[in-house]
Amino acid sequence: MNTANILLIERGIIKLIKQPSAPIMGFGMSLFFLLVYNAGIGGVGSMDAFGSGGYLSFVFPITIISLAMGSSAGAGQTLNTDMQSGYFRRLYLSPAPRWILVVAPMLADTISSLFFTILLIIIGAISGVTFQFGLLSVLGILILSFLWSLTLCGFSAGIMLRTGQHQSAAIVTNAVFPLLFLSTTFLPRELITADWLLDVSWGNPVTYILEGNRYLLAGTSSASFFYIGLIIFALTSIFSVIFALSSANKIKI
Amino acid sequence: MNAEIQIKGLFKRYPNGTQALKGICLEIQKGHFFTLLGPNGAGKSTLVKVMTTLINKDSGNFTIAGINPETNLSKIQKIIGVASQDNEIDPTEKVENLLAFQGRLFGLTKPESIKRVNELIEMFQLDTERNKKASALSGGNKRRLHCALALVHHPQILFLDEPTVGMDPVARANFWEIITQMNKSESVTIFLTTQYLDEADKHATEMALLVAGEIRYSGTIIDFKKMVNPDSSMSLDDSYLKYIKTLTNQESSKNN
Repeated sequence: MNTANILLIERGIIKLIKQPSAPIMGFGMSLFFLLVYNAGIGGVGSMDAFGSGGYLSFVFPITIISLAMGSSAGAGQTLNTDMQSGYFRRLYLSPAPRWILVVAPMLADTISSLFFTILLIIIGAISGVTFQFGLLSVLGILILSFLWSLTLCGFSAGIMLRTGQHQSAAIVTNAVFPLLFLSTTFLPRELITADWLLDVSWGNPVTYILEGNRYLLAGTSSASFFYIGLIIFALTSIFSVIFALSSANKIKI
Repeated sequence: MNAEIQIKGLFKRYPNGTQALKGICLEIQKGHFFTLLGPNGAGKSTLVKVMTTLINKDSGNFTIAGINPETNLSKIQKIIGVASQDNEIDPTEKVENLLAFQGRLFGLTKPESIKRVNELIEMFQLDTERNKKASALSGGNKRRLHCALALVHHPQILFLDEPTVGMDPVARANFWEIITQMNKSESVTIFLTTQYLDEADKHATEMALLVAGEIRYSGTIIDFKKMVNPDSSMSLDDSYLKYIKTLTNQESSKNN
């Protein structure tokens, strides 16, 4: 990777460190979910369907998902700030490849998301979350988290670039939010009574990241969820990066 | 001799239907101080944006230092410096950090970048501002910083689009001193657009007059003055006004 690319990614990370409200809010929201859900309905974790990891391991994936949701608007906001100040034009005139101007803040956001995911995993491990395959489980969770985060960042940056309004970067979070409730978020498939919700959950990509993580944690899901999740989110992240890059052509310089 | 900037039949139409450039042809030699004049909306900034690769042309060709932007964009970006009408500054960064980052982005090593930052801070008299965030600078100092950023990488060709707007007379004099020095001692080619014709008259030697997307005159400033008023010497300002007035009268009599 050339120096200009590295410098721009570094700049994106420094921007997030200087204005950490988005990732910290995402992290705070995730911890809140973990605490509240486990405290409120953690008692059901003694049922067989939750496996040996209990409710804490079962609900843990939701904290990983909500983490990226809370911070995915960061890249779009960085781009918007640069465009408003005119600095984006100066970067655009530099010898740095133009695609990196869009990808750098997205990567910075994704790296930040990974950092907080590692923090969450440490907190989870201390609190008693089980990792079925040890470090391999952690690696699998990080890969899924990376792809999920990149997907959200790409769409949020792309939408912001097309609309030119920083508020629109949050559209993705709002759009994804209902998907959390149309999945096996709070209860395992065996305990969901509504057939329609079960049907919808099959078509909901969030189900595959949730269940994929559960396979890696307490082993309450099958490996196929993890592999299908990997394929789905590899494809969505590629599509979202393409969407963001194509949106960069819509910018009025 | 190959021209430093060569433009052949350049056309640009905006999506709203405005034909901003109508077959522009120009040649500017290396080390020359060129100014592009014309009324508001004539297409000056559009031409600068096309030449600096900010926007795409519709048709025609241009080369910069013999390089075609379609085949080697990054090479062109390395040799041009651009100070446009609007400030292009990250307000959250400190003055010296912004300059250093710009240098690094253009391939300077860390020590080279630090050395260049110190030079530019001294040249643009930003010593007391170097550790301030750009947002905390006065309007004039923001403008100085904006212009300094265009010079970090020792550009071979400098595009200045209304560069001194918002500068006080002292800053303006200081700015022109830096630019003319670069032009004379380093043979930097200058492409200037300005509405301050006294500045163009004082510093530039060649000019083109752009009206409604078309070049109406291209040559030396001295010849332009002679053409407009063969019998007596006039400032560029007066010559320009007289020429535009004549042009407007001709257009209106054509329409009638």
